[in-house]
Amino acid sequence: MTKFIPNRRAVLAGMAATLATPAILRASGAPIKLATLTPMTGVGGSYGPSMRDVMIGVVKEVNEAGGVLGREIEVISDDTQTSPEAAVRAARKLIDVDGVSAIMGTWASSITTAVAPLAWESKTMLLCTSGSDTITLLPHKGYVVRTQPGSILQTTVAATDLSKKGYKSVVWMGPQSPFAEVSIETYKNIFEAAGAKFSSMIYEADKATYRSEVDTALRDKPDMIVFGGYATDSTVLLRDLWQASYEGTISAQGYAVNQGVIDSLPAEVTNGVITTAPAPALGSTGFARASEILGVEAADPYSAQCYDHVNLVLLAMAKAGETSGEAVRDHLRDVSQGEGMKVSSALEGLKHISEGVNYEGASGACTFNDKGDVTEMTMLYSEIKDKKPVSIDL
Amino acid sequence: MLDLLPQFLLNGIIYGALLAVPAVGFSAMFSVLRFPNFSVASQATVGAFAGYAANVWLGWPILLAVVAAFLVSAVIGVIVDEVALRPLRKHGALTTAIASIAGVVVLENVVRFIFGNDMRGYDLPLVRDLRFWDLRIGPQQINNLLIALGIMAVIFAVLRFTRIGKAMRAVADNPGLAELKGIDSIQIGRLAVFFGMGIVGTGGLLLGLGNSIDPMLGFRFFLPIFAAAVVGGLGSTPGAVLGAMVVGIGEEASLLLLSPAYKSAVGFLFIVIVLSFRPRGILGERAY
Repeated sequence: MTKFIPNRRAVLAGMAATLATPAILRASGAPIKLATLTPMTGVGGSYGPSMRDVMIGVVKEVNEAGGVLGREIEVISDDTQTSPEAAVRAARKLIDVDGVSAIMGTWASSITTAVAPLAWESKTMLLCTSGSDTITLLPHKGYVVRTQPGSILQTTVAATDLSKKGYKSVVWMGPQSPFAEVSIETYKNIFEAAGAKFSSMIYEADKATYRSEVDTALRDKPDMIVFGGYATDSTVLLRDLWQASYEGTISAQGYAVNQGVIDSLPAEVTNGVITTAPAPALGSTGFARASEILGVEAADPYSAQCYDHVNLVLLAMAKAGETSGEAVRDHLRDVSQGEGMKVSSALEGLKHISEGVNYEGASGACTFNDKGDVTEMTMLYSEIKDKKPVSIDL
Repeated sequence: MLDLLPQFLLNGIIYGALLAVPAVGFSAMFSVLRFPNFSVASQATVGAFAGYAANVWLGWPILLAVVAAFLVSAVIGVIVDEVALRPLRKHGALTTAIASIAGVVVLENVVRFIFGNDMRGYDLPLVRDLRFWDLRIGPQQINNLLIALGIMAVIFAVLRFTRIGKAMRAVADNPGLAELKGIDSIQIGRLAVFFGMGIVGTGGLLLGLGNSIDPMLGFRFFLPIFAAAVVGGLGSTPGAVLGAMVVGIGEEASLLLLSPAYKSAVGFLFIVIVLSFRPRGILGERAY
């Protein structure tokens, strides 16, 4: 048997080579595995790619600066197909095969609800952009947090502000979703208290036409119609309402009448539509950074939230000194709130992690309560004028 | 609520006429090839996007876009059939039908790759609905209805009066006998796919004209299209039209009694009722 005995020259060459390698290749240990699970196809397909890209962008920067705890971060991306079944299959693979310690970016409440039990049972952290209040009521043992304000908080703020405009008859139209009942109940209470007549209609999603639904809704001669569905339905409804000569106000969540919807319809159909959306932290350093990573003027709210997901996870790992899902759960609030130094990226926060940091990101302050809900929100109202949403005050 | 019935019936007729176009294509292919080609779901999308490319990218008027939708989906339909489905036909209808489902996924993703996921709209002026008595109807709907009727008239004439049509009917009725008479059933099968998929693609464009298009378009309409073909009698062209009307009017009129959340259930209720009493469908001649 030959024995390998390094001579002096070999050792020196080896040392020189080590120093010449980029920082991350010198990082010891196996890579830290994180997952992005976003809707790349299906009704949410227009949001997923930038949600994923912003997370990969953040990780790339952190890797170039040496990783976290001296380890490289590896991102594994999968597609929910905006379908709970597909999302569960993907999550199983991410948890069981890849062994990721956090899944980030799930969109749509039905999907987060389906994936959440896999997360808490396997002690994997789940960070989502879903608004249904039922999500954080799940027995998730702290493994679920969301950067999207809950739907009760959102609808209460929106309905209260809209009700001040003195509408007399309001109709809520939307498909069945975990969000529907809460939304209807909140709007009903607030508008009836303000003296308006209120009715609601739950329709079937993804139909070719809603002409008959529109005929039914218009019987109440509404001066405001609230959309509770997603973009595909909104396009059909907007067109059907315009063709039926509806002249009242239409209000919708920003994701239901997004730029894709606006671009696919003539300007006269979308003019005057009021959109409501939890505002990202416009003007903040985090928001500018997320937009810069994506190479866009202004990151969309979901991408802004995903930027925060990955930064929070990386900071929590650094704070904990370990990378398990449990460690992220236990230390997330140590870096997201409190007295520490305000930072808006992991890159910045990692340098000060020992002194304590308070992350304030692209979507907002990222202050979470015990249930995993964000506790603060600003609502952004826009009115669509000539194919562009313009910010307005209600 | 009953005052809305005439409007619901009108909406149902228009929706039914739109469903009838792809349902006729689906049914025609079934009658000749004897397997349900589920890839119609994405061929409708292919037609809608081919029409979009012709209308928006090339600036062609809608009638020319209809021709583009027909040709592109017809040619792609034949290619998919030749490459993936025909070699499997000897293994039986079920195997071929399952392969056609795989075709749906592949084609849908090809469309997604080329056009992206965003919704797109045709370059058409939008016009307010016309009102008469207490009813309303959109001029675009009238156009769609006329185009749909025109397509169905052409299909009917081709099947009834041309040699190709007669040969197709002969193969549909009895492939063995047709072969003995010197009709090349492979060639006729190819023609059935060409015309069938062309019609499905045109149907996809018509469905897209009323709203925006995205890669999931055909998939969303597949169930009512399938319901229409089954209710009318798989393989029967007039049956597909009648089935589409039953499903279209049934879905819209169901709003009088049911929450709109259950609209699709109505199509399936019709399938169950019709097949319970008449397994071959309303106008179907064979029970398959």
